[in-house]
Amino acid sequence: MDWLFFGEISLAGLAMGGLYALIGLGFVIIYKATRVINFAIGEIMMFAAYLFLAFAGGMEMSPWVALPLAVLGGSLLGGVIEKIMIRPMLGESSISVVMVTIGIASILVGVVEMIWGADPQLLPSFLPRKPVFIGEMYLAPKIAYGFLIGAALLIVYLLYFRFSRGGVALRATASDQAAAYSMGINVRRVFNLAWVFGSLAASLAGVLVAATGGLSPQFGAIGLSVLVVVIVGGLDSIVGALIAGVFIGWLETVAGAYLGGEYRMPATFAVLAVILVFRPYGLFGTHEIERV
Amino acid sequence: MFKSILSKGRKLAGIGSIAAALVAAAPAVAQDKEPIVFGGSIPLSGVFAFAGVHLHAGLTDYTTWINSQGGINGHPVKYVMEDTGYEVDRSVAAFKKITGSNTVPVYYGDSTGFMKTIASELNSRGSTLMSGASFATALTDNEQYPNQFVPGPNYTQMFGIILEYIATQGKDGEKPTVAFVYSDTEFGKDPIENGKAKAAEMGIEVVEEIVTKPGSVDVSAEVLKMRRARPDFVVFHGYVLSPINEFMVQMRQMGLDTQFMGTFWSSDKLIINKMGEDADGYMGVMPYNYYDSAEGGPMLDALRATAEKSDPDAGYRPTGYMQGWFNAMVWTEVIKRTMDAGKELTAENMAESLASIKNWDTGGIIGIPVTAHDMSFPVGRIWRVNAKEGRYEPVSDWIHLD
Repeated sequence: MDWLFFGEISLAGLAMGGLYALIGLGFVIIYKATRVINFAIGEIMMFAAYLFLAFAGGMEMSPWVALPLAVLGGSLLGGVIEKIMIRPMLGESSISVVMVTIGIASILVGVVEMIWGADPQLLPSFLPRKPVFIGEMYLAPKIAYGFLIGAALLIVYLLYFRFSRGGVALRATASDQAAAYSMGINVRRVFNLAWVFGSLAASLAGVLVAATGGLSPQFGAIGLSVLVVVIVGGLDSIVGALIAGVFIGWLETVAGAYLGGEYRMPATFAVLAVILVFRPYGLFGTHEIERV
Repeated sequence: MFKSILSKGRKLAGIGSIAAALVAAAPAVAQDKEPIVFGGSIPLSGVFAFAGVHLHAGLTDYTTWINSQGGINGHPVKYVMEDTGYEVDRSVAAFKKITGSNTVPVYYGDSTGFMKTIASELNSRGSTLMSGASFATALTDNEQYPNQFVPGPNYTQMFGIILEYIATQGKDGEKPTVAFVYSDTEFGKDPIENGKAKAAEMGIEVVEEIVTKPGSVDVSAEVLKMRRARPDFVVFHGYVLSPINEFMVQMRQMGLDTQFMGTFWSSDKLIINKMGEDADGYMGVMPYNYYDSAEGGPMLDALRATAEKSDPDAGYRPTGYMQGWFNAMVWTEVIKRTMDAGKELTAENMAESLASIKNWDTGGIIGIPVTAHDMSFPVGRIWRVNAKEGRYEPVSDWIHLD
C-alpha cells in the first residue's frame, strides 16, 4: 500500500470535509433554533458566491473586500428570507415550511440566472497558488487555505455561542423555546439571528467551495449532499455536524480515489443508511427530533 | 390624454410602416407556397441554458438568412420552438404541441435523453427527421434511431479524432500516454469504452481513467492520481468548464507537462474567458470553424454577416451558435435534396437524402467537404487555445474519419 498516497488523499478529504462541516453548521444552527429544515441552504451558498463574483469580478474589488461583503450579503439574505417568508409560516406544519424553503431555492436559481446568466463561472483567483506540502504530502492550495479560513470561522462561532449574550440566547431558545420566552428572550429575534448566522456560515462555505470547483446556477445541489452530513451527525447537533462533515468529506474522497469517482456518493449514502437504521436521530442528535 | 393616445397612435403607425417597408423589401419568398417548419425543443432555461440561448440564436438567424435567400425551393421557412428548461418531459410536451399544430419535417432535440425518449414515437410517425444538441454515439445507430442524426462527429468519433492527433505527437518512435477524465453521467461515459478500444488499437496506453461527479466538485484527490500516472495527454469529456480548470491548474502546479484536450461542449471560448492565462495550451476537437477564426467561405461569411446584423452588440458567437446554424443547414440540404428528387418529405426519404450527402461543401462552416456516415459527419480539427490572443488556433489539419 502506498501510504504517502493514502496520507495525501486523506488530507485532501479532511480539508474538504472541513468545508462540509461549515455548510452543515449553517444547516444545524437554523434547525436547532427554529426547527426548520432549510432546503435553500445550497442556493444561499450559491447566491453568496455570485455576490463574490460580482464584487471581485464585475466591480473589480479586492477579493479580500469582496469576500466579507459577499458573506454578509448571503447572511443578510438569510435574515430577509426568515423575516418575510419563514416567519409568517410559524405554526404551520413542518412540511409546509419545508416546501417554502424549496420554493425559495427555485426563486434564487431564477434570480441568479436573470442577473448573471446561465453560463458556468469561475471565481477570480484569490487564494495563494503555491503548492502546500505537509511533510512529503501534497495538498492543493485552494483546499488548504479554504480549510483554514473555514476553520477560523468555526472557532469564532464556537466562542460566540459559548460566551456571548446572543449565543446564550440562541442556545437557550434551542433548548426550550417556552422557557426562553418566559425568561425575556426575544425568541423572534433569535430565530432571525439563527438564519443570519446559519446563512453566514453557508455563504462563506459557498464562496470557498465555488473557488475550488466553479460556479453555476446548479451549484446549490451541493446543499443536498450536505444533508447527508447533518443527518449522520444529528440534525440538531453542532458537534455532530462538525465531526460528520469531516468524516463524510474524508470518506467521499477516499472512496473516490480507491474505488472510482462513481462510488463517492454510494459510499456516503451507505453510511447514511446504516446510521438511519441504528441511530435514526444521528450520531449526536437528540431522540425527540422530528423527521420529514 | 388625447395627446397620449395620438402619440401612441403615431408610434404604432410608425411601427406599421416600418413593418410594411420590411415586407416590401424582403426578397422574393413565394407567399403561395406552404412554409416549411423547423421545430425545436430548446433549452432556454435550466442547466443547458448557457448553450441553449446560442443554439436558439443560430437557428433563428439561419431561418432569417434562408428566407432572405428565397427559402427552400421557394418555400418560406418558419422556426417554431418552445423552451424546455432541459427537462425531458417538457421537451416531449413541446414536441407534441409543435408537431400537433404544424407539419414539422425537421426538429431540434435539446438532449440525448429527449431524443432517445421520443425515438419510438418519431419512428412510428415517420414524418420528422431529428437532430439537436446531442452528439451521442447511440443516436448514430441506424437500426434503433433511423430518423435521427448528429450534426458533426459523435462523441466516439470525437475521441477518434483526438486519438489520431495524439498518435502523431509521440517522440523517439514512442506513442504518448493518455488519461481519460469524464463525468459520471450518460454524456460523460458515452465514448469511454470505444475510446479505450480505439486507443488500444492504435497502441496508445491509457494510463489512468477518472470519473468525477458533474459540476462543482473538488478534484484534488483525483489530481493526486494523475501525479502518479503522469500521462502525456488528458482527454476530458462530459464537462463544460469545471473541473477542467482545476485539473489543469493543479497538475501544472505539480510540475507535470501534460497536455489537456476536450470534446465539443468543453471547447468553446468559455474556457478562455473564465480561465484566462491558465487556459493557454488547452486543445479541443471542433467540427466547425470558430466564429472568430481566420478561416472564411461564403456560408461562414453569411453566418457572420447575419449574426452581426441580428445583434450587433453580441460580438463573438459561441460554438452553440455554429451548431444551431449547421443543424439548420443540414436540414435545408436534406429537404432540398428530397424535394429535388420529387419525393415526399417523410423521415425515411429525408434520412435517405442525408445518407446521400457526399463531399458536401459547407461554405466554410467546416473546412473541408464532408460526407455523411451512419447519420453523422465524422470530421473535426484540433484547435489549441492561444490565451494571449484570446482564441483557438488550429494545430492539425481537418481529420475526416472513414
